[in-house]
Amino acid sequence: MLREPMGLLGIGLVLLIVLGALFAGLTGYSPSKLAMRDRFLDPSFTHLLGTDHLGRDLFTRVLHGARIALGVAFVATGISFIGGLILGMIAGYGPRWLDSLLLLLFDSLRAFPTVMLALALVTLTGPSLAAVVLVVVLATLPGYARVVRAQTMSLKTTEFVLSARSLGAPSWRILAVHIMPNLIGPLVILVSMDIPVVITIEAGMSFLGLGVRPPTPSWGAILNDGYAFIRESAWPAIAGGLPIIIATLGFTFLGETLRDHLDPRLRQDG
Amino acid sequence: MSGISLSRRQMLAALAAAGFSPALYRSAALAQGGKVLKVRSYADIQNLDPAFRKGAPEDDVMRNIFVGLADMTPGDTWKWRLDAASKLEQTDATHIDFTLMDGLVWSDGHGPVTADDVKFSFERMADPKLDSPYKGDWEVLDHVEVKDDKSGTIVLKAPFPPLWNVGLVFGSGKIVSRKAVEAMGGRFDTKPPAQSGRYLLKEWQPKQRVVLARNPDWKGEAPYFDEIHVIPIEDAKTAELGLEAGDIDYTWVEASSIPRFKKTPPKGGKLAVKPSLAYVWLGMNVEAAPFDKLEVRQAVQKAIDVPSVLEAAYFGAAEPATGIIAPGLIGHREKTLYSFNLDAARELLKKAGLDSGFECTLSILNTTEFTSAAQAVQANLAEIGITVTIQQYDSGTFWSLGDQKSGDSWKKVQLIINRFSMQPDPSFATDWFTPEQIGVWNWERWNSPEFGELNKKAKIELDTQKRNEMYVRMQDLMDESGAYVFLTHGAVGVCTSDKIEPALMPNGNPIFHGFKATA
Repeated sequence: MLREPMGLLGIGLVLLIVLGALFAGLTGYSPSKLAMRDRFLDPSFTHLLGTDHLGRDLFTRVLHGARIALGVAFVATGISFIGGLILGMIAGYGPRWLDSLLLLLFDSLRAFPTVMLALALVTLTGPSLAAVVLVVVLATLPGYARVVRAQTMSLKTTEFVLSARSLGAPSWRILAVHIMPNLIGPLVILVSMDIPVVITIEAGMSFLGLGVRPPTPSWGAILNDGYAFIRESAWPAIAGGLPIIIATLGFTFLGETLRDHLDPRLRQDG
Repeated sequence: MSGISLSRRQMLAALAAAGFSPALYRSAALAQGGKVLKVRSYADIQNLDPAFRKGAPEDDVMRNIFVGLADMTPGDTWKWRLDAASKLEQTDATHIDFTLMDGLVWSDGHGPVTADDVKFSFERMADPKLDSPYKGDWEVLDHVEVKDDKSGTIVLKAPFPPLWNVGLVFGSGKIVSRKAVEAMGGRFDTKPPAQSGRYLLKEWQPKQRVVLARNPDWKGEAPYFDEIHVIPIEDAKTAELGLEAGDIDYTWVEASSIPRFKKTPPKGGKLAVKPSLAYVWLGMNVEAAPFDKLEVRQAVQKAIDVPSVLEAAYFGAAEPATGIIAPGLIGHREKTLYSFNLDAARELLKKAGLDSGFECTLSILNTTEFTSAAQAVQANLAEIGITVTIQQYDSGTFWSLGDQKSGDSWKKVQLIINRFSMQPDPSFATDWFTPEQIGVWNWERWNSPEFGELNKKAKIELDTQKRNEMYVRMQDLMDESGAYVFLTHGAVGVCTSDKIEPALMPNGNPIFHGFKATA
């Protein structure tokens, strides 16, 4: 994987974001402390990306924003991964009526446009990080579950599963020991490809004021502030947009490279 | 892999189209031969019944689809002029004679506008059974005497100075059709059953636009534009970009943008700066713990460094307010009774048993200006250990937060930053904080019978000096309640396309039917 330029670039960009998030506290500035006298400063050695309309250091806010973006991405996709895996296996291996019921649930959730879903949820719960995670989980889990269901249905008629069943293995054991290991690979590929989507959902919701609350430095919120004051200074908009581009490119390259390596069909095709 | 394939020729054509399209934008707003005016409103309409209008967005539309006996003139001084009346004369302190102009008719076949419609309109505003939030504008109305189809006399119980500055000339003075409104059960919402203004409501697409079309039956001076499109855009910064892109012809801009536009006018537009009468304040719900304790409210009053909040939200383009009544109006105060003092604030919290601080929410309208102000308030209150969570709302939700009839959200309101628009009489500021307005517009739920009494007396007081003292005392009472931190009156920046000659009241309020294209 390290020999492929795309993979290498993906790893580099993702590492950049992860390291930024880890060392966000070392910049010497608070991400939320107001300093009105320093409003709209251009980039310099003191403020690497300049300052925003409230005089806050944009570089610091961008790094702290990485924590939000990665946090939401990993937590939400983690929940979707586990939830999709369990529900998908139940749907694929369980009785027909349960499969129909779960399919109805998955398809109903998938039918909601993400923005509409976000608006409805935020109206009910108010904007928060938890609401963002919930929106992402509801938007992505049905997709994972459907993939897992299809794979499970195909695997349950394979010989190794049939022989395990004929030897009297209980359903939970068949699912956990024989089927699940074969599902993890494709699901990991899917999740890795979805992380940039999740990052943009979080940024989009925060841009619309439906995500984290101010002064929490989400990339979407930084971008929104930058958009509002773009005539005063272009730097806040650049500072909000750049990390979203870096993160989505990084995770996309990484996901595609992972797919190329983990998907046996693509590996064979060369 | 299959997918969309673009030839080099198609790609070049697409790029050329994309690049060329911005050139079309600038002419978009004044399209159709210069006869469509596109204006921005800060919120969508919610109710076009004059008795139940919500605020300026409705006023701006109603001014075009209904007539009153009089309205305000555009210009730099507050003056009224005849609107639907050909004669309007105060014969003594409690009698006003009027005669309607010829040719006024209702839309939708409801016949001519009559003096009986005037009687119905004004008496229903004051009717306690209707319970209009604006009944205070006509509270001294005794009755309207109808002489004939077109003339009558407004009879007051007592002299009433605000009538000429508020009741007669703004939304509360708009005339509705008795026949049409009674057929609707006595009130209506966003579908007026009959209109008589220079324009008619042609179409309302919620959250998208209100389309007003020229009234073919209007017999007075014809307005310039064939249609007015009122587009709700909550965020002023977004609207500023829309104006510069040529998508709209008129918008208010945020005070923070005024210095920049003064230096460099908006692309394709011009800026007018007007003194604002509106007022912005931080309110506290006196029924919501811990703000039910006077010491806590007073601690907040003393912990807010108003200039720092204004610097954050308005970039220094707005002055601190000393109350709800703007400079130049009767009742304006020189200073507040409280002042910024962090030590005193901490002491007050200690007295309230909350010296270790507490958590609370601050509700705001989701705009750049209020979000910046809220963050400054949040930083100020953090200094005395109060942890504030900012809750942003879209305009539809925000404007019903404190309304008891709209649900239970009023119970959750703790701190709130609010802005009320204003008309050129102090009574229009104080009316909203009386005990009767609790759960309507008095979202702080502050109950002061003394304030309510003074409000009634000040309205009918003819001695200007005494009236001034009453309004000053009322604002002192607001200070003493601890429930208010007055922030600013703001500054009104109005940007219009340079192809438009706007008609603006002295505080920048638009009279859209008076807008013209520049010569």
